[in-house]
Amino acid sequence: MSLVTPFGLCLVSIFGLALLGLPIGYAMIGGCILYLAAAGQDLGIAAEQLLQGLRGSYVLLAIPLFVLSAELMNVGSLSNRLLQFCNAFVGRMRGGLGHVNVMQSIVFAGMSGSALADAAGVGRLVINLMTREGRYPKSYAAAITAASAVVGPIIPPSIPMVLYALVSDTSIGYLFLGGAVPGLILAATVMAINATMARRRHFPVERAVRIAELPGITVRAFPALMMPFILLGGIYGGVTTPTEAAAIAAAYALLVSVLLYRDVSPRQLYAAVLESARSSASIGILIGGALVFNYVVAVENIPTSVRGLIEGYELSPLGFLLLVNAILLGLGCLLEGITILLVIVPIFIPTAEALGIDMVHFGVVVVVNLMIGLITPPYGLLLFVVATISGASLLSVIRDVMPFLVALIGGLLFITLVPDAVLWLPRLLGYAG
Amino acid sequence: MTSASTGRRILEWFRRRGENVAAALLATIFVTFILQILFRYVLVWPVGWTLEISTLAWTWLVLWGGAFIVREEDEIRFDILYSAVPGHVRRGFIVVSSVALALLMIVSMPAAYDYVAFMRVERVSYVGLRLDHAFSIYVIFATAVIARCVMRIWLVMRSPRTDTAKGGEGQP
Repeated sequence: MSLVTPFGLCLVSIFGLALLGLPIGYAMIGGCILYLAAAGQDLGIAAEQLLQGLRGSYVLLAIPLFVLSAELMNVGSLSNRLLQFCNAFVGRMRGGLGHVNVMQSIVFAGMSGSALADAAGVGRLVINLMTREGRYPKSYAAAITAASAVVGPIIPPSIPMVLYALVSDTSIGYLFLGGAVPGLILAATVMAINATMARRRHFPVERAVRIAELPGITVRAFPALMMPFILLGGIYGGVTTPTEAAAIAAAYALLVSVLLYRDVSPRQLYAAVLESARSSASIGILIGGALVFNYVVAVENIPTSVRGLIEGYELSPLGFLLLVNAILLGLGCLLEGITILLVIVPIFIPTAEALGIDMVHFGVVVVVNLMIGLITPPYGLLLFVVATISGASLLSVIRDVMPFLVALIGGLLFITLVPDAVLWLPRLLGYAG
Repeated sequence: MTSASTGRRILEWFRRRGENVAAALLATIFVTFILQILFRYVLVWPVGWTLEISTLAWTWLVLWGGAFIVREEDEIRFDILYSAVPGHVRRGFIVVSSVALALLMIVSMPAAYDYVAFMRVERVSYVGLRLDHAFSIYVIFATAVIARCVMRIWLVMRSPRTDTAKGGEGQP
């Protein structure tokens, strides 16, 4: 692929503009306009692709709605009540707050659409709990928060899965189901490492909550605990589409925090709506840029060329999956997951399909991979976020995140090699793939 | 400096109104979706206009939000190099990338305008809104992006010591 072709020019300019610090969405829009000019096409195509793409993608509406539910839960006391609930059950174990950290991710994370936002939202609460009075080293609190934020978006609900569904035309419902088992396996792995570390490094045990207090704490957390059931029950009961379920989740969070708990003032409510609008727009611009870029990729027939290239090597499906994993992990050290998902992954999808790889399996492998990329040194965005929140040095966080990283990569290898770990649950519930 | 502070107050006022609009757009997506669910499952009377309004509100939210309310620090960027270079090099980066983006947006503006104007032949079917009106947000977006680029360049040139990497100085 020569760099003097319009497409080469497009790639170089996107990469160059992004490297100069332009937001990636704008770099893509700019690079694609340059492509259209160089290829002698109508420059209005950029506007057309962006507008029609945004307007035509029903699944994308889940994004602002999930983000809104997450914001509403954080602004009210829902997240706090949930933390107390988790603490009552697993706090008494050695390294208990580490387990709490993972448990809350299982229940909630992934809704905000970005592991970064999870780490900065509920993650901040847990880091504060863990480092209060110097109970856990700051670097360890940061490391396990990063690890559990990685697991969150693998377990439904998950915006990265929604985006994969968009680029691959796969059912979101089955993708969510496919992520459930691998996500729980990875969460269990993180908890196992936490237990080992806790013994070895003598982490504290939380005051055991008396049995008599458990019912009260459960009742207090009950509305928060119902959230995943409302969300997933609606989707798998066949009652609602995932996007509608996202709206119901937001409505539920609103009802619980404003009417039931009455702990959200109108001002806070407005702030939550505004923050959601801001982060949705920020993701949306990136999606918009990717929509225009994907047009260019399609016109240039890139997926077919890649397919030809890979077929030339006569890779087996497994060899291809391992190759994709290696490429994505490498890119994950440089780029944010959503960008890779929207820009790079579509290039591999036709080849995966041609090799007979199941699209749900592929999607889960890709999402797990991209999430791991967020904590892979030297450039893991999540590492930067948790290091900043906890006040630990980046180097110490990297040191403490290593055992988790190794285990998560092991988990990725496992679900790559054993498609049934992903596909078992979707098939049980009617997936024909 | 009265005129400068008045100018700042006016900008601040506009920023707040921009935020009001974005919040209202998000609320619109949410409310129409809830209405859609009510109509479809409770009243068993599927309607089409709810979906049209929510997808249009989403399109507007992204472009309006991108133009007016997303702050520098909210942007998703690839800052491995950008954040590592010393301040004066970063200012150079800002000037080069802003000039490039502004030029590309300016060059494509007439074609984008033509596309949007051409869409007057279509209407959003249930709501009856003309599509060129609905899509005019792109022209607003592109104009705001150009204005932001110009502003960012001006800020860097005017006060070479300002650290434009942080804060929302470039916000209209």
